[in-house]
Amino acid sequence: MRAFELVEPATLREAAASLGADDSTIRPIAGGTAIVLMMKAGVFRPERLVSLRRIERRHAAIERTAEGGLHIGAMATLTALEHSADIRAAAPVIARMLRNHSNVRVRNVATVGGNLAHADPNMDMPPVLIALGARVTTISSDGERSIAVEDLPAGFYQTVLKPNELIAALEIPAQHARRSAYLKCTTRAAHDWPTLGIAVSLGDNDARIVISAATERPMRLTAAENEFRDPRKAAEAAADTVKIMPDARGSIPYKRQLVRVYVERALRAAMEAAS
Amino acid sequence: MSETVRTIRFTLNGETRTAQIEPHWNLVDLLTRLDLFGARESCAQGLCGCCTVIVDGTAVSGCLHLAAFADGATLSTIEDSHGLDAVQQAFIDTGALQCGFCTPGFILMTRQLLAAHPDPDDDTIRHYLAGNLCRCGAYAEIIEAVKLAAKRPKA
Amino acid sequence: MNKIMRHGQVGRSAPRLEAREKATGRAEYVHNLRLPGMLYGKIFRSTIPHGRIRSIDVSAAAAHPGVYRVITAADVAKVVPNPYYGPAFHDQPILAIDKVHHVGEPVAVVLATDPHVAEEAAALIVAQYDELPAVYDEVEAMTSKAVVHDVLKPAGTFPDLKHLQGKTDTNVALDFHLRRGDVAKAFAEADHVFEHTFRTKAVLHLPLEPFVSVAETTGSGLTIHTASQSPSFVRIEIARLLGWPENRVRVKVPYLGGGFGAKLYIKLEALVAALALIVNRPVKIALTMEEQFFTLTKHASTFRIKSAVSKDGKITGRECEVWWNGGAYADIGPRITQKSGFTAPGPYDIDNVTIDSYSLYTNLTPAGALRGFGIPQLVWAYESHADMIARALKLDPLAFRRKNILREGNAQATGTIMRDAAIEAVLEQVSARMDWEKPFARSSGSVKRGRGIAIGFKASISPTTSVAIVNVAADGSATLYCSTVDMGQGSDTANAQIVAEVLSIEAEAVRIVHPDTDVTPYDMATLGSRSLYHMGNAVRLAAQDAKAKLADLAREVGVPEGSNIPIAELFVKKYKMQAGNIIGTASYIPSYVPPEAETGQTPNATPFWMVGGAGAEVEVDTETGHVRVTRLVNVGDVGTLINPRIVATQLSGAAVMQYGFTMQEQIETDGGQITNASFADYKIPSILDIPPMESEAVDAEQHDGPFGAKGVGESGTFAVSPAIANAIDDAVGVRISELPITPEAVYRAIRARNGDPLEDA
Repeated sequence: MRAFELVEPATLREAAASLGADDSTIRPIAGGTAIVLMMKAGVFRPERLVSLRRIERRHAAIERTAEGGLHIGAMATLTALEHSADIRAAAPVIARMLRNHSNVRVRNVATVGGNLAHADPNMDMPPVLIALGARVTTISSDGERSIAVEDLPAGFYQTVLKPNELIAALEIPAQHARRSAYLKCTTRAAHDWPTLGIAVSLGDNDARIVISAATERPMRLTAAENEFRDPRKAAEAAADTVKIMPDARGSIPYKRQLVRVYVERALRAAMEAAS
Repeated sequence: MSETVRTIRFTLNGETRTAQIEPHWNLVDLLTRLDLFGARESCAQGLCGCCTVIVDGTAVSGCLHLAAFADGATLSTIEDSHGLDAVQQAFIDTGALQCGFCTPGFILMTRQLLAAHPDPDDDTIRHYLAGNLCRCGAYAEIIEAVKLAAKRPKA
Repeated sequence: MNKIMRHGQVGRSAPRLEAREKATGRAEYVHNLRLPGMLYGKIFRSTIPHGRIRSIDVSAAAAHPGVYRVITAADVAKVVPNPYYGPAFHDQPILAIDKVHHVGEPVAVVLATDPHVAEEAAALIVAQYDELPAVYDEVEAMTSKAVVHDVLKPAGTFPDLKHLQGKTDTNVALDFHLRRGDVAKAFAEADHVFEHTFRTKAVLHLPLEPFVSVAETTGSGLTIHTASQSPSFVRIEIARLLGWPENRVRVKVPYLGGGFGAKLYIKLEALVAALALIVNRPVKIALTMEEQFFTLTKHASTFRIKSAVSKDGKITGRECEVWWNGGAYADIGPRITQKSGFTAPGPYDIDNVTIDSYSLYTNLTPAGALRGFGIPQLVWAYESHADMIARALKLDPLAFRRKNILREGNAQATGTIMRDAAIEAVLEQVSARMDWEKPFARSSGSVKRGRGIAIGFKASISPTTSVAIVNVAADGSATLYCSTVDMGQGSDTANAQIVAEVLSIEAEAVRIVHPDTDVTPYDMATLGSRSLYHMGNAVRLAAQDAKAKLADLAREVGVPEGSNIPIAELFVKKYKMQAGNIIGTASYIPSYVPPEAETGQTPNATPFWMVGGAGAEVEVDTETGHVRVTRLVNVGDVGTLINPRIVATQLSGAAVMQYGFTMQEQIETDGGQITNASFADYKIPSILDIPPMESEAVDAEQHDGPFGAKGVGESGTFAVSPAIANAIDDAVGVRISELPITPEAVYRAIRARNGDPLEDA
């Protein structure tokens, strides 16, 4: 690694202003677990890093909303989410998922905003948040906007965020009687990035079924959602329609089989989960 | 000295320190320049735990943590005392170390584990220590050591 | 049990002597070393698998702020005119000369006081190559038009390599052949003939302390501080490269953060030595985890095994053809081809055997020794093959092995009569632990249960020398000087226990001086589980020598025999004050008869045998191919236990490592490029991966080992892989013939068995 300029603004607004509108050598850094890896590998060589660690503390808060949902500051760490009583009450699937996510030290510093902005397709968090119907609010010089987590990824390691736009908070709606599950499948070791992740959120009359890791980006499996009452049919529909990305973790036909198995298992897990 | 050098102030193993650092240094770069070698960069990806450092009471991977982020922080490493605490003694008594390169990381993580879970079961231990690798394969003895340390009174 | 009188030091689970240093983060590793004026080197590596170097442009790197100097082979030639090294072949250049032979081969080095600067600058070097055809597969390398080396360059010291001197147009670095009995007749008369081929992929050691070496020039020559398992070899080889006497090269080795066979012979030592001589400043090179993938691997292998078997299940003949993928430089591969090659028929009593074992050059990272020295690759094949035969003949796998097992007093394939090899006892203990003869509960759902056993054996390296010095000071305290490297296996503690046993003192009171070739005497190397036997014997004899000299001293000062007078008083009686030393020394080399060139026959193939057996129980998810090992039993014959706890951790640690090679690990390549050179993509076992394990040593004794002991570091690796594959076959009726056993491989095999293969369309 080589030297760069490190700025540490005191507010989120200043931080957004410190980012260039179209300079790819300027990036924000929160926990740094992903971006430092990219810098070590030489795939990202910053001229300036804008650290978010000194911005207002409220951006790390986790709060229950009046409606029973969750408002989570983008700087909340994954460990904070994992141990939050509010999250365990309002969206326990997140805490369960986090236990098998990366490791304790990464979770201690990695932030929910950084996790989503990084747009690594092999992550456990985005499919769960998509299944829960979560949205992010962002801030930039153009003002604030709200984006569904589902619409955030634009492709492989890409998001719809503009270069000078920062995630400010995550909003998870009240789940009421919805039941959720997330199943992670690894194929190279027990502890690994997922080969496949399937998140399910089940309502009385609908299901959101989200796939990640085996596809270019996390996405809803609408064909499976249409068959959600019959897990086997839903699994076949998912396997028949999904566009798989092969890699060292598995070939296309093998991952297709995993989709078939895990969609069914995840749906059954959600049916058995407490609401 | 390059223009990017900055001075940071922090507490290290109970002592107030200042250091001149470069923005691209990580915590291991900082600590080795202060003659502390217990935190070791091994996998360089935050996966093996050899570089574990406790920052403000929380374990981090020193290889992925910018030294600049230590400004104002309280750091502690395996060198924070000369005596042996219950965790270190349990690692010795159970033979939970072989080459010793991963051992400081395992011991620091075990202290964190026992602070959060005073009487952990196997599953809790395995999940908590999933981010620490031991190529000598002393995992069974490490689990034994964690349980033994949990039983012993804290030093 | 052995009848040697005991003082309670041998056989005691003493905690490791260095445990406190390691638990407090203060143990000394080369990793920690910084010297005044030291430069850090960063290696610029080849990006192509095979090619002629057209040009190397270092101008941008040399001009980079903070760079001290950039070094290429042309600079090295000024201090080392013939810069080729290696333990069997002098084929590996310090930096690439004219050609590169594998991706990641060192081509140039940037030196700077700041390692970050050296790294940045190394990325600015530009090399241009004329690419040459490359070969990657060990079987193709036998006949490939792509030839890795223009001419073979075996080291002159080995008679069995002489016929390879100067050979061209070949990738065969060594061919080993064994002929015993009449195999053609055995096959002609056989009731059944079985032939199978098994493969293993390349894996690697990955000690958590990657390769690291420091060299500094001194008034008299050079001092090299290195994380090496073979300090004496490093000294001799560096002296040879420089044309110096040995005593001008000093090699110091503190603790190693793991070795496993990686840190043997010359790795970075010749490079840092040359750099230090060129710039006359201390130079340190510490590799990253990624760079270990470009340095040394464990041989990928292909093993075709064919057996003649009678109706009642007796193996009457066996043909073994083994191809070892040695990568671009021979390293110790030719020795693996031979020393491990001769055990290829397995621990079975077979009258008619042929073995053809080939060490091949390919355009991949060089391969060398890794915890088992080729044995796990062989056991993988012959023990998978054993179960396939038993299954086909509807014989119980244990009964089939019992019928054929190589018993004490019978001749092994080399003709050597088996002694002190508890093969039967290990097999029986594995089956007892597994409750093999009781019914096994299977399951009916989509998850199927199965179980399997396997057993393997290994001959120790031979003939090699160890020398030890025991120094008793005037206060009676004892110090051991030896060049065995404690890389985590506990040799310091075991050697201290041996000294303590002989001198009737506490092991904890014995000081160990770590390898320093100016101080500690010669030892061949810490490898192949040889140290406890070879060095252990030298240490025992040196301690006995010191004890005899103490007895002489007692006589001299008029102390009656059998007196309990403290040692310190003997010295005072002689020197009238606390003064003087007693120095005990010994050298140990076992006997050995080299194999006959044509037939591989010898009456004395090895000083001792190691035996390892394993049993596995598995659950296979037939919908995904996931295999969960629910129980892994490891049993070894390690002779007498010097330190039972350390023995147990060596057996289980070896099994954990082999579990990784069985289920998870493989170096993935694409056109010679490694595509998973990191812990993110090359998955070593974590605490979440390891199965429930039981490890045990059978009651045994090596008659000529120190206090009946022999090596233990590798035995736990031998049988793990086939035990698991055999259990999978037992569970779901499919045979996996290539390591690692991935979920996809198992799922594909299940689909194929069902007549519905997974289509790649």
